[in-house]
Amino acid sequence: MEALRNVFDFSDFPRIDLVVVGMVALFLVVFPLLPHSSFAMATMIQFLMFSLYGMGWNTIGGYGGQVDLGKAQYLGIGAFTTAVMLIRWDVPFWVSMPIGVALAVTWSFIIGYPLFRLTGHYFAIATIATSLVLKDIFEVWDFVGAARGLEISPIKYSPPDFLRLIFKEDIYYYYIILGFFFLGILYVNWFRKSRLGFQLRSIKDNEEVAQSLGINVHWAKIKTYAIATAFVSLVGSFHACYIKNIEPEDTMSLDLSILIALMAMLGGAGSLWGPIIGAGVLIPLKSYLKEWLGAKAGLVGIDLIIYAVIIMLISAVEPRGIWGIIEKIRRRKRA
Amino acid sequence: MDILVSSLVAGILIGMILALMALGLTIIFGVMDIVNFAHGEFLMIGMYTGLLTAQSTGMDPLLTLPVAAVVGFLLGIVCYFGFVKFLLRGPMVAQLLGTFGLMLFLRNLALLVFGSEDKGLHHGILVGKSFEIGVGVIVPATKLAAAGLSVVAFWAVWMLMNRTKIGKALTATALNAQGARYMGIPTERMNALAWGIGGGSVTVAGALLVNFWSVNPFVGILFTMIAFAIVALGGFGSVPGAFFAGIVVGIITEIPGIWDFFTYTFNLDWMANVPMTSLKYMWVYLAYFVIMVVRPRGLFGWKH
Repeated sequence: MEALRNVFDFSDFPRIDLVVVGMVALFLVVFPLLPHSSFAMATMIQFLMFSLYGMGWNTIGGYGGQVDLGKAQYLGIGAFTTAVMLIRWDVPFWVSMPIGVALAVTWSFIIGYPLFRLTGHYFAIATIATSLVLKDIFEVWDFVGAARGLEISPIKYSPPDFLRLIFKEDIYYYYIILGFFFLGILYVNWFRKSRLGFQLRSIKDNEEVAQSLGINVHWAKIKTYAIATAFVSLVGSFHACYIKNIEPEDTMSLDLSILIALMAMLGGAGSLWGPIIGAGVLIPLKSYLKEWLGAKAGLVGIDLIIYAVIIMLISAVEPRGIWGIIEKIRRRKRA
Repeated sequence: MDILVSSLVAGILIGMILALMALGLTIIFGVMDIVNFAHGEFLMIGMYTGLLTAQSTGMDPLLTLPVAAVVGFLLGIVCYFGFVKFLLRGPMVAQLLGTFGLMLFLRNLALLVFGSEDKGLHHGILVGKSFEIGVGVIVPATKLAAAGLSVVAFWAVWMLMNRTKIGKALTATALNAQGARYMGIPTERMNALAWGIGGGSVTVAGALLVNFWSVNPFVGILFTMIAFAIVALGGFGSVPGAFFAGIVVGIITEIPGIWDFFTYTFNLDWMANVPMTSLKYMWVYLAYFVIMVVRPRGLFGWKH
């Protein structure tokens, strides 16, 4: 009962926050009913997916302070598990998704055990290395389609297919990922007040002190890493059904791993709303910049230059992100 | 036999250039504990500098090194004072993502300016010439000259670090920045100098590499990861470590050739079926991971 109350308990946030959150949630629910372009719809789905990636990253990277730059490998495991099982054995999404999560979590335990003996820069680069090793293996592995990747052809199924998650209209995908999104928020809300959440924050503040208080630092990190992995792998499975055409190059690339970490940081790592704010700013910005400057004006790369400048500014000026700025203003008002 | 020997020779030669590239990373890391993700992009800029200088002046590509060194030195200094200085106040995650932003910036700037197609050099006195050593092992002259010049550049940096007053000041800053500041060493300028030397050595490596490796704006990330592996193996912050680790990693990148040798020698079918060439760089990443887990200090590391 205690745990259940914690899930729905947001009372430690100021009332104004909850009003804003409620309005945003209402907007997200009614968005498909408002007039919108299909491009806006696709951007919104991307935003919800990346919020979930960011929330997952935030558990280990934000609350735990372990900079993980290899999240895309789990996205790939989830996406390829779902795609392979659907194409080869016609396994529905709701069965293959838990299997994908289980595989990803197992893999995260295998590599997490040695990984978490490292700290700081060494850990961050080692996560990149593991991610690239897995990507290289997937690129030559014929069973998962090698470098060509896999394609789920929707004509074989009769959309709307709620078991296999094959739809013609994006609106179905939108509401399914929105459901996951709300569940994700509730889970992280519980997580941050759980025993593991408190242990993790003490590890972030001072690892030696945490150790001396009797916390099993290594095991706490590995457990949280598995939680973050489950988030990413789940959305990876959804990604396979939504995009329908997956390649190792765009589901497991380093840029994707960094984008996930970056969003959480831009919004404010280590806070509940941070990754959502980060995704809400960055994803629309990225896709509209690409649409306006890249595709229409024909300036290849200029969208990514602007994007890079934003990364450089946020890390040099306010590394605690947008949430950090909000808290700074609040503290100044109170004083 | 000749496949094995030529793979090893090719690995050692490319390893000498890779060592020079990693030298910049290890100096920057040693002096100020910051990981530079944009390192491969510095190399890419060095490659373009070598290429464009050689093409516009008609000089031999091997003579463009001073230009590349100056460009790299200035690039390092500008990056330090314009950007990296501000990252040092923040937490580690800001440093990682900040230099990643720098990498994206440089890569896409190059894409905008130079376009995305591969560019390579096809002229110069050494291009197309090769030596034959021993049992049918052929060594291209450009690779040999590039490796030789890389050793010279490495030696120059090593002398600078160990035999001059500035080098001693740099080492002091690396060992204990606060102590160095009390001794009257301008650590801010030393940091900038580390970025300058780091940038200069990596662009020289780029100008050497462009003699036999075509360049496009996306080459950077591969070399960043190779440089990380070399620095990890040699020990973060160690100059002689970078040299030996560079050669080892150079040989690791030639694993497909060595694999071929064993395939032919023992005539094994399953070995022939492994797509080794596509997995060429996987071994480098794997080596990084294994080294970090087994021996985080690296071979010659004094800092962890």
